[in-house]
Amino acid sequence: MKKRLLSMAMASAMVASMAVGAIGVQAEEAEGYTYGLNETFYSEEPVTYSIMFSDASWYPMTETWKTEGIFAKIQELTNVTLDITSIDSGDYDSKKALMINAGEASYIIPKTYDESAFVEGGAVVAVSDWVQYMPNYTNFVETYSMQPELKTLEKADGKYYRLPGMLEAPLQDYTFLLRKDYFEGAGYDVAALEQDWTWDEFADILADVKAYMVEQGIVTEEDYIWSDLWAGSEVDGSGGNLLKLVGAAYGVPSGWAVGNGVEYDAETDQFYFASTSEDYKAYVTLMSGLVKDGILDPETFTQDNQTACNKFYRGETALLSVNRSQYTSWLANMDEQLGEGNYETYLCVIPKSDKHNYMPENIRLENGVMIAQKALDELGEEEFIKMLRFVDWLFYSDEAYDLVKWGVEGETYQVNEDGTKSLLDGYKCGGLGIAGEEEDIDIRLQWGYAGGNYYYGGTVAQMSDNFIPEIMDFVNRMNEYRDVKPLNPAYTANEDENEQLNLWKTPLIDNVNTWTLQFITGVMDVEADWDAYVASCEGLNSTSMVDMINDIYARTKGE
Amino acid sequence: MAKKKEDMYIPRRIHVSAAYRTFTVFNTILMIVISAVTLYPFLYLVAQSFSSERAIVAGEVGIIPVDFNVTTYVSIFKKGEFFHFYGNTIIYSVVGTFLSLLMSSMLAYPLSKKELRLNKFIGPFVIFTMYFGGGMIPNFVLMTKLGLRDTVASFILPGLIGTYYVILMKSFFQSIPRELEEAGQIDGLTQIGVFFRIVLPLSKAIIATMTLFYMVGYWNNWFNAFLYLDTREKWPVAYHLKQIISGTQTSNDPGATADAAQISANIKSCSMVLTAAPLICIYPFIQKYFVQGMMLGGVKE
Repeated sequence: MKKRLLSMAMASAMVASMAVGAIGVQAEEAEGYTYGLNETFYSEEPVTYSIMFSDASWYPMTETWKTEGIFAKIQELTNVTLDITSIDSGDYDSKKALMINAGEASYIIPKTYDESAFVEGGAVVAVSDWVQYMPNYTNFVETYSMQPELKTLEKADGKYYRLPGMLEAPLQDYTFLLRKDYFEGAGYDVAALEQDWTWDEFADILADVKAYMVEQGIVTEEDYIWSDLWAGSEVDGSGGNLLKLVGAAYGVPSGWAVGNGVEYDAETDQFYFASTSEDYKAYVTLMSGLVKDGILDPETFTQDNQTACNKFYRGETALLSVNRSQYTSWLANMDEQLGEGNYETYLCVIPKSDKHNYMPENIRLENGVMIAQKALDELGEEEFIKMLRFVDWLFYSDEAYDLVKWGVEGETYQVNEDGTKSLLDGYKCGGLGIAGEEEDIDIRLQWGYAGGNYYYGGTVAQMSDNFIPEIMDFVNRMNEYRDVKPLNPAYTANEDENEQLNLWKTPLIDNVNTWTLQFITGVMDVEADWDAYVASCEGLNSTSMVDMINDIYARTKGE
Repeated sequence: MAKKKEDMYIPRRIHVSAAYRTFTVFNTILMIVISAVTLYPFLYLVAQSFSSERAIVAGEVGIIPVDFNVTTYVSIFKKGEFFHFYGNTIIYSVVGTFLSLLMSSMLAYPLSKKELRLNKFIGPFVIFTMYFGGGMIPNFVLMTKLGLRDTVASFILPGLIGTYYVILMKSFFQSIPRELEEAGQIDGLTQIGVFFRIVLPLSKAIIATMTLFYMVGYWNNWFNAFLYLDTREKWPVAYHLKQIISGTQTSNDPGATADAAQISANIKSCSMVLTAAPLICIYPFIQKYFVQGMMLGGVKE
């Protein structure tokens, strides 16, 4: 009965909102507050909403954030006071789960990567039922056609439970930092080559780079010239970042991206088990070749991150994985070890394969915001919608984006004539990668701007407005030279199916990861042992899993 | 840390067989090896905390500091935050240990009296808590509903009485001659008087042992802080340390100070040394009681 009432109420609300939509979006006014697309949410009566906060130890929240910083500004603009439950970022997920399960959740629960655990218990609201009240959100969804992505968030009931961070386009974060001087020494101009280089060509280049390094006495014939991080003891045994990057070029999920090993084939409109495909074989053949030829250090898959970094800092290796946030740190460490100016580096476009020209990143969703069911129960529908509109403003409006990332225009930052942003004199920000003098004020430490809680994605212009030139240049080249892999269509399994798929997936993917690393490190021979590997996967129900996924896909396709 | 060092003294008057002598030699060697294995990581940590970033990255540090410097220590001292958490820990540990001792001994004492019939009923309840706990979420709800979350009480209360320690104390109390208590009563002491003026003073060994156990427990406890202490200012140093250990990788902001590289290289080791240091200093003074207390508590039942 209650459900029916609710759905009727919602149906009528939808109709009402469509009518509103037809009139045109801009400033809108409901009972006691303003909101709307590109409009500041403002409540006439002061209101308080509880919200969780992931507090990072390297920029811990201080009182000034509330008295004069980010929270004060939010309050000033919206008349909303945030009642913050601060949780140390290292424990955020576990404590958040604890509090939600104990019925102590805040109304707004940001920085959520996985909401699945809370769906069945009914602790969080199915936000997809309510997004029509959120003009900035719906605008972004429509402008950038986010529907296929949102479809992947849906649970068996066809609803989704998290307001995701959304990206206009995927940005490649991880890539390789090359020792440009070594590559040049070996006679290669990386900037000229990177547009079209395949992994096979890249392997040949690396062989020559090694020959050069041996000749120069930098390493010996026995040494490897590539010993990577984010693939060893500190990741889950999947080969982490490195295998994700290489696998993507071959169109197969691997490493961090392995998932359930299943890929979609647009031609047949079917899913297939990519981890035993010919593409996969080509990919492991390449990787095992790199190890066999003395280029890639097999310790990559067992060592800790610091060890890998140290080898690169000392100049013993010719390349290392890197991401945006670590880039400057890599350079600083090399300055320390090798001395400034004694080395040259280059952020390269990741090689492709003969078949595919994909960049590894193709996801346009980020972590997001859950809304506690408690909020709906305690506030009542009308007030709940009001709160959602505040959430809409805080997480999806351009105004809030600039505020939480850069602070206040004219106070902490300025917009330059070419549209770029820069901090005013006297300010710096570690979070935005903008260095400054010792005595400059870090706007993140001081006021909480540029933190990780309130902006997740945005348009390409927004996301890149703080990139340093080297990174911007890399992102541009990457986007220009490589294609975005189309998203696999969503298939929404019900609870039983999910459980069965997981039961199959866990041992199967463990098996895939183990064999993959054994192929690569040379414990197993790709040619001789391939059939045994395929058989072992079939023994672990790879076929049954794919069949079930295809059944589910066929069933839910039309919905 | 040093508890493996057994008392190796063999009186000369007693005839010592060749086999026993061999055993002693091997035993000594084995213990030295174990001590070295236990001690090495700590010495390495200490050495690292005083070494330069370059030496650490280059992997040159063994158990002796290379390029001795105290940059990171200075930065920790300057920042002051660490000592704030340190202060919290000291308060929690001292108050908690005192209350724990008081409560545990007051529970153990009546339990040690066989003639108290209710013990048959209460005893199993005490033991029961060793096997079953309410679970994390119910405890969390309990603390919240009691209004104790984010208070010092929420940090201390849940572990106030350790069942195992109560049993140790109970055994110890049972070993105290009945006659002493009776003598006290004849001289006009009440039950409470007997407990505080006769039993407790006779129990220094077990109390010293319990002090150490409880103290170490409180000192190292971060989990209660994780569960119940929402305000950063109230954290104990152990939780802060946990945070540092899990968070440094991302802490090297380009906007940070010039010493950032040095600090990020050994902030973990410095913090660990600082956290462990007080306990290591206290340990030798309590150790003699510790061995005695454990044995006394253990034999009688």
